[in-house]
Amino acid sequence: MINKYKTYNCKILKISQEGSNSKNFSLSLPYKNFNFTAGQYVMISIPGFGEAPISISSDMNKKDHFQLTVREAGTLTSELHKKKKGNIIGIRGPYGRPFPIKLGKDKTILIVAGGCGIEPVRPLILDAVKNPQKYKKVYIFYGAKNEDAMIYAQEYDKWRKACDFNLTLDNPKSKKYRKGVVTKLFDVKKVPNDAIAYVCGPPVMYKFVIDKMIKQGFKPENIFMSLERHMDCGQGVCQHCAIGPYYVCKDGPVFSYEELKNLKTWLKPI
Amino acid sequence: MTKNQFKQFIGFLLKHNLIIAPQYNAEGYLHLNELKDSNDLYLGTELPLDSWKWYMLPPDQKMFEYKGEKLKETLPQIPKQVFLGVSILDMQALTLLNQVFEKDPYYQEIKKKTIVIGTSLVPEENFYQFFEKFEENKLEHLQFDLFLAVQKSGYKIYSGSEDGQRLLDKFGYKNYQHIEYAGPIREEGLDRQMVEIKDAMQNYHEQKIWDDLDKRCIQCGKCTIACPVCFCFRMYDQADSAKDTGYRSRCWDSCFYNEFTQVAGDSPKDSKHRFMNKTGEKIYFWYEHHFVRTPDTFSLPGCVGCGRCTRTCPADIDIKKTIQNILSARKKMLKKSKNDG
Repeated sequence: MINKYKTYNCKILKISQEGSNSKNFSLSLPYKNFNFTAGQYVMISIPGFGEAPISISSDMNKKDHFQLTVREAGTLTSELHKKKKGNIIGIRGPYGRPFPIKLGKDKTILIVAGGCGIEPVRPLILDAVKNPQKYKKVYIFYGAKNEDAMIYAQEYDKWRKACDFNLTLDNPKSKKYRKGVVTKLFDVKKVPNDAIAYVCGPPVMYKFVIDKMIKQGFKPENIFMSLERHMDCGQGVCQHCAIGPYYVCKDGPVFSYEELKNLKTWLKPI
Repeated sequence: MTKNQFKQFIGFLLKHNLIIAPQYNAEGYLHLNELKDSNDLYLGTELPLDSWKWYMLPPDQKMFEYKGEKLKETLPQIPKQVFLGVSILDMQALTLLNQVFEKDPYYQEIKKKTIVIGTSLVPEENFYQFFEKFEENKLEHLQFDLFLAVQKSGYKIYSGSEDGQRLLDKFGYKNYQHIEYAGPIREEGLDRQMVEIKDAMQNYHEQKIWDDLDKRCIQCGKCTIACPVCFCFRMYDQADSAKDTGYRSRCWDSCFYNEFTQVAGDSPKDSKHRFMNKTGEKIYFWYEHHFVRTPDTFSLPGCVGCGRCTRTCPADIDIKKTIQNILSARKKMLKKSKNDG
């Protein structure tokens, strides 16, 4: 019987700093034929420090390595941040239901990200940059706290070539940047409301972004959001990530707003 | 099987197995413990305070030992064991756990070494209608090795697995009937009571029920420990004093504990983010697990009506009453919508 909790060792090939407290780790593949779709995650493992779910943030088309961008947030991630090129970390997965990429084909797509919510949607962006003919038009709305919290900043010029990239900062230090939360971008830039939207951000962001989008006429079934929850097993057993009848670890982490708004529970998932 | 033969059978089992069975302790409480003398065995309608999950899904389970970056699987090392005197309610609980942990190597390793001997005895106080009384046709939807149907003078014996049959053959008892397991779902379809409770939870929500429980529940989590089917777990690493070695384990968790939904904060020094911070939200989550998610995933009731949670609750929360309230709210709303046309 396959032990689904078994982890596979990956070598750290490259580490780059992203913003002031995140690092992007390029990792060797854990096993043959490892592949993933934007929105999926892996469980990372450092013996002695435990496991945590981390979204895969790299180009889906790259077959020789994959990337995880990790913010220093707790014990495990702090330990990961101490690791050097050539060190080993454990991986199991990939897990979860990805963003429905095919649904956006030949259509306008809108990517909305807040803070490190940009990480799980980066595979979508990199794919769009590589295959601009796939979509009618790609809009990106990205909100970060300030300049220090901006992730993948060195890639924005490349993104701009294929996407309409819009950035806003809550508290910018320089006047170069637009000031305001990510919802503000909906007033600045009018995106056709038949667009397919992929949204990821902190819990507090969803309420405001969804309200705005519904007001602007976006359809609930076209809004896809990735939820963050505590996960231990990653396989729909341990119950930590459950919301209503769903397990975020395997039925999600990506859900359409249609699925969540119809959730007949008084516990609001977002 | 006569009572005398049964006593001999226990003696036979004791020779080669560890027997776990309900027994009264010195304080007069009925617990599951190792059986050393067949005279200590309790076979009756009272349920032991603890459930069989203590032995099938131990509170703490080592999963891997590690050295540096290398993890090595550590399967449980247990002797052959016999669960003797498992009430039909607890058989239903074990049948559900078998589905939940069907692909779990740790659970399966224990299951492989365990013989389950059930009995037709059920407690008089039991709100799950299906188990109110024993009928033979219920057996084919339960997983067990041997079953004792209590009769006036002794037991009618059923076997539910080849392991069970082998055991009887070895003992030299032939007068048994074999029941082939036909899957957890019965011919007449899903359990009606289960479907009604799920429908009530999902479509006829009555906030007052949960506001009341919010005020009463003290989030101690005792119900989750007492419940024979509560199987939430968390995983943790434990470093040995020697450098670079240690264990990865899993242990029981409880959805009533504050850390249950905890995710990362902004930075290591910032406070963590938690979902479901109100008591009412937590107890609702518990009910959703048992009465919505489990039926959804396994087509089986996530509650066997054993009442252990009620017995153990220090705040006097009675699951039977809560279920009655949930069902009557549905009935009321259905009636109202009918009257409203």
